[in-house]
Amino acid sequence: MTEIKHHAYLFDATRCIDCRACMVACSVENNIAMDKTRIWVAGIGIKGEYPNLERGSMVYHCMHCEHPDCMSACPVGAYTKAEDGPVIYNPEVCIGCRYCMNACPFGVPHFDYDKGIIDGAFIDKCTFCPQRIYNGQEPACVQTCPTDALEYGERDELIVKARARIAAHPDRYIDHIYGEFENGGTSYLILSHIPFNELGLPDLPAEPISEVSEKVMEMTIPFALSWGAVLSGVAAGVHLYNKNKEEKTAAEENTEATK
Amino acid sequence: MKLNLTVQPRFRLNFRPLVWVLLALMGIAFVIAMIRFANGIGPVTNLSNAYPWGFWISFDLFTGVAIGSGAFVMAAIVYIFELKEFQPLLRPSVLTGFLGYIMVVVALLVDLGHPERIWYMMIHTNHTSVLLEIGICVMSYLTVLAIEFAPVIFEGLKWEKWAHLLHKFIMPFVILGVVLSTLHQSSLGSLLLIEPTKLFPLWWTPILPIEFFISAISIGMGMIILESSLSSLYFKRGLELHLLEKLGRAVPVALGIYLLVKFVEIFIAGDAHFLFTSGLMSLLFWTEILVGVIIPMALFSSKRIRQSANGILISAIILLVGMILNRFNVSWFAVQHADPITYLPTFMGNNIHYWPSLSEVLVSVGIFSAGILVFGMAAKYLPLFDNEHPQHAAGD
Repeated sequence: MTEIKHHAYLFDATRCIDCRACMVACSVENNIAMDKTRIWVAGIGIKGEYPNLERGSMVYHCMHCEHPDCMSACPVGAYTKAEDGPVIYNPEVCIGCRYCMNACPFGVPHFDYDKGIIDGAFIDKCTFCPQRIYNGQEPACVQTCPTDALEYGERDELIVKARARIAAHPDRYIDHIYGEFENGGTSYLILSHIPFNELGLPDLPAEPISEVSEKVMEMTIPFALSWGAVLSGVAAGVHLYNKNKEEKTAAEENTEATK
Repeated sequence: MKLNLTVQPRFRLNFRPLVWVLLALMGIAFVIAMIRFANGIGPVTNLSNAYPWGFWISFDLFTGVAIGSGAFVMAAIVYIFELKEFQPLLRPSVLTGFLGYIMVVVALLVDLGHPERIWYMMIHTNHTSVLLEIGICVMSYLTVLAIEFAPVIFEGLKWEKWAHLLHKFIMPFVILGVVLSTLHQSSLGSLLLIEPTKLFPLWWTPILPIEFFISAISIGMGMIILESSLSSLYFKRGLELHLLEKLGRAVPVALGIYLLVKFVEIFIAGDAHFLFTSGLMSLLFWTEILVGVIIPMALFSSKRIRQSANGILISAIILLVGMILNRFNVSWFAVQHADPITYLPTFMGNNIHYWPSLSEVLVSVGIFSAGILVFGMAAKYLPLFDNEHPQHAAGD
């Protein structure tokens, strides 16, 4: 396999048969209990009216965003974005504030609510299987998928592949690759035959949603300094004004007294 | 000549029986906190992966910080604008702020997954994180409030020299305190900036930090009125009604600016159609605006109400209830996390619609009780309402 510069997944909802083998594979590979799985599959149910019925299922997974909101939000920098794609969580510095769970528009990070201080309660989410992808293997969920609904590879190549698939079957697919631009792009790309919001995916602009708060944060230090200067100026001005007034009244009283 | 304008309340309430109730509530909170530290957050709360932040964040962090704003409002009035007549209100406001912030930190220690690592914020800093800014500001501001309040303790200990020395160098700390307050009061609003898909559009706006700061000023004034009025009922002291009346005159102005900013933003952003069409969200919005802004604006505009001890107290309570509802809306009621029906399988979070558990509320109540108890003890043992040493009251 050639070296991958930007790891990514492609999920094709038209191929998913809701077998949930990916959940089991992830659980086995990463040694996590099934009730804390990092990947979960939801059947959307049957949509439409007879005879035009459709059913779909969605594999939810860390989106490995290009501009991760969890990383932007984390106060202690427990998240990092690897240049080659994966968003990595580091439990060593995590303080357990759970702001990443609020920040993530996809609701991906999960927390150990059942663990006390001694056991150590941490966040968990998909790691992109580094023990596999850096040894020439596919991530566990991809390798196990029986219908190739989940694929893995170079991000650019997967986008080309997805476009070709839409072009070949325009009747089958919605003409959009979710994750190509959403939230500044993600490394988990999705093709679907039913509208993306019905799959539970939020409508996100191409501009990363962390942009607004990051801009505000950039202004913090300059604002603090100028606000401090303004307040000092006002305080000094008021003080001088009051002093002046006092002296004047004192002087007036003096002149009155001498009269 | 010095006029004594304070008003003596017609009846007084006794603080002593309340002490036992407060101690009992603190004990209950302590036991629950121990269970939480031993077994995790799950067993004592209804928090889930769908709702990672709940009552503790809305009440202890958002409300706690908001009602601590009296300290910086009063410090700005007395020191920066040199309105020295407000001096008698300064010490209790600074103490309320100080205790409020300690309560915030204590509550966060219960809420954090790793409370023993809270100091990591000082060594592992991520400069894009709003929460980091709040953490650093709250830690620094606690230090500033301690310095602003220290003269009272020094006077209580009869260390006049120290009190005098501190008083001499108080100004830089006051300015630092106001700057830090501006930063973290507004940053509480910025916390939600990263959730445009979750916070309902009537509340989500890029100017949330500005709205939070403006509303913090009126909350601060409301708190000063509330806490002066209550302490005059419980402790042997008069009520500086003439000062509260004067302070009350500024409330409609602050609220008016807030109202204007809020509605102009909603219309410019094109969210006006949500005002009447979004069911519960519209109801919450209008309740917050009516109770927190419009009704108090009308009440505080009336001179007759401002001049009555009961009138001004009730107006302040109405204002605070409405504004606290705003903080709850922004941090909880109007936040809709990723669609739980399709998104989260039930085993990942059985509490899809969050409502706090009894033990969550009891922890907050216990921490709040501790604050009231410490305030009561300070009123008894420290020169909190004492103007014998006006030359360096609360750092003067």
